[in-house]
Amino acid sequence: MPDLTTRIAGLSMRTPVMLASGTAGYGTELRGLVDFGCVGAIVTKTVTPAPRAGNSPPRLAETPCGLLNAIGLENVGLAAFLEEKLPAAAALGPPVIVSIAAEDPGAFARLAAAVGSRAEAAALEVNVSCPNVARARRPAWDDPVAAGAIVRAVKASTTKPVLVKLSPNTADPEGMAEAAEEAGADALVVANTLPGMRIDVEGRRPALGNVTGGLSGRAILPVNLALVWKTAGVVSVPIVGSGGIGTADEALEYLMAGASAVQVGTALFADPEAPASISRGITERMKSDGVESVAEYVGMAREGTWRETIRAA
Amino acid sequence: MSAASFLCELDAGRGFPDARPGQFVHVRTPAGVTLRRPFSVAGVTGRGRFELLIRERGCGTRSLAALEAGAPISVVGPLGNAFTLPEPQRIAVLVGGGIGVAGLRLLAGRIAGDGGRALLLVGATTGSELLHHVLPGETEDGRIRLRVSTDDGSQGLRGTVCSLLERELDGLPVSGVRIYCCGPRAMLSSGARVAIAHEFPCEVLMEEVMACGVGACRGCVVRTRHGYRAACSDGPVFDASEVVFEEESVA
Repeated sequence: MPDLTTRIAGLSMRTPVMLASGTAGYGTELRGLVDFGCVGAIVTKTVTPAPRAGNSPPRLAETPCGLLNAIGLENVGLAAFLEEKLPAAAALGPPVIVSIAAEDPGAFARLAAAVGSRAEAAALEVNVSCPNVARARRPAWDDPVAAGAIVRAVKASTTKPVLVKLSPNTADPEGMAEAAEEAGADALVVANTLPGMRIDVEGRRPALGNVTGGLSGRAILPVNLALVWKTAGVVSVPIVGSGGIGTADEALEYLMAGASAVQVGTALFADPEAPASISRGITERMKSDGVESVAEYVGMAREGTWRETIRAA
Repeated sequence: MSAASFLCELDAGRGFPDARPGQFVHVRTPAGVTLRRPFSVAGVTGRGRFELLIRERGCGTRSLAALEAGAPISVVGPLGNAFTLPEPQRIAVLVGGGIGVAGLRLLAGRIAGDGGRALLLVGATTGSELLHHVLPGETEDGRIRLRVSTDDGSQGLRGTVCSLLERELDGLPVSGVRIYCCGPRAMLSSGARVAIAHEFPCEVLMEEVMACGVGACRGCVVRTRHGYRAACSDGPVFDASEVVFEEESVA
């Protein structure tokens, strides 16, 4: 029987298919829609120290093969999260990875300590890549020094595994990945959404209340896949691929590029059964390939004989 | 039916709960677009069987219109909250603009079936777009009355359905009215203003672009006096006095 068990950063998951932050709420909203038995881990909506109201609506705009969002990290805040949301999420079954964001390394550290002290939190995902809340001209997602300081502060405050979610919005993705690894990241999530916007022509105004938003969905798959390929070549910590995945073969593309696991987000909106169908599809592929453990696919496309073929040609 | 609107019946199986007036279903269209499309349940025809009233507006709704009878389709629901049903002594005033009639049809049918009293006000840009004929007909005893308006005056009162509402409210008893509005945002805003000015209780059904449909993604929020609320899980029905219709300053 093909084995889908996936281990990253000391975390054991039944499948390599995780639910991406922001799309799965606090997990419980998807009860009855998503088969949690096929979910490797749930990444919660990003939690901040205080509650956040989020951005002005409209917050969503559909695009060809994609979706723009500018939610603005609306969340209940740390206290309510620990009190109500985290225990309920943990009761769903899969390990719960808590996405966190704060203003500066000190606030990140306090948040990480509070979340990390809870048994229900299997790991933390550091969100240094939300495109919808930044004010700085050079935000942390494109600043290896700033991102490194945040990751170091978080690592010093918790013994839980720390995943760092990187942004595609940088000229030097390898440098950002290396900075996160050097700062102690146990795994990297590659990557968040791409910046984008649309204009409501009839209303003569930006379609989103925040003007710009983050582009997700099928449209960004080739972009984030290339980022996984690039970053997997320079770091040794595991990579979690994210961006536009809706089918088993799309998940396998990320694995073969070097990701150890994947996150599914936007696909859940049209197809809440995606985690189940992706897991099933990977199992089918493993049977026909004669592959026993899904881990065998990780980086498979990096090693093939195609390199020699291309050089010869 | 108006040129680009159609009524269709879906069979979701006997286990599918009956929708209450105001609730919606989230439909995956054959167009292969990123998001499902939310549609008010416009009628309940049997166990697990219900109707949707759909206007072709973009590729998602067009792909639904092109479906053949009996084609399978993925539906999640019923989702969201429901209208407060009118107290027996009250007259329900249902105000529908354009395809907004879809959100009121189940309520209108329920009131008519229960022997209640309703004034149905239906507006559209022009006569051929009016959807009043999908609502219960007027009764001879005056329990159910219907008035229409068109922006171009081709049928009924010339003007908006809210100007029709204002005119009709003048003849109704002050304490015995409950108002329900469904339609474009500007119509909901003026409907709410009229209702509040007359001190009538009023509920509005808000339509927003939705992603998850279950309150997880926080994408479809409506600005209310108590902060942002998700149209999908806190709504789609809101008390008219709670909704802040004024524009926010853009970031």
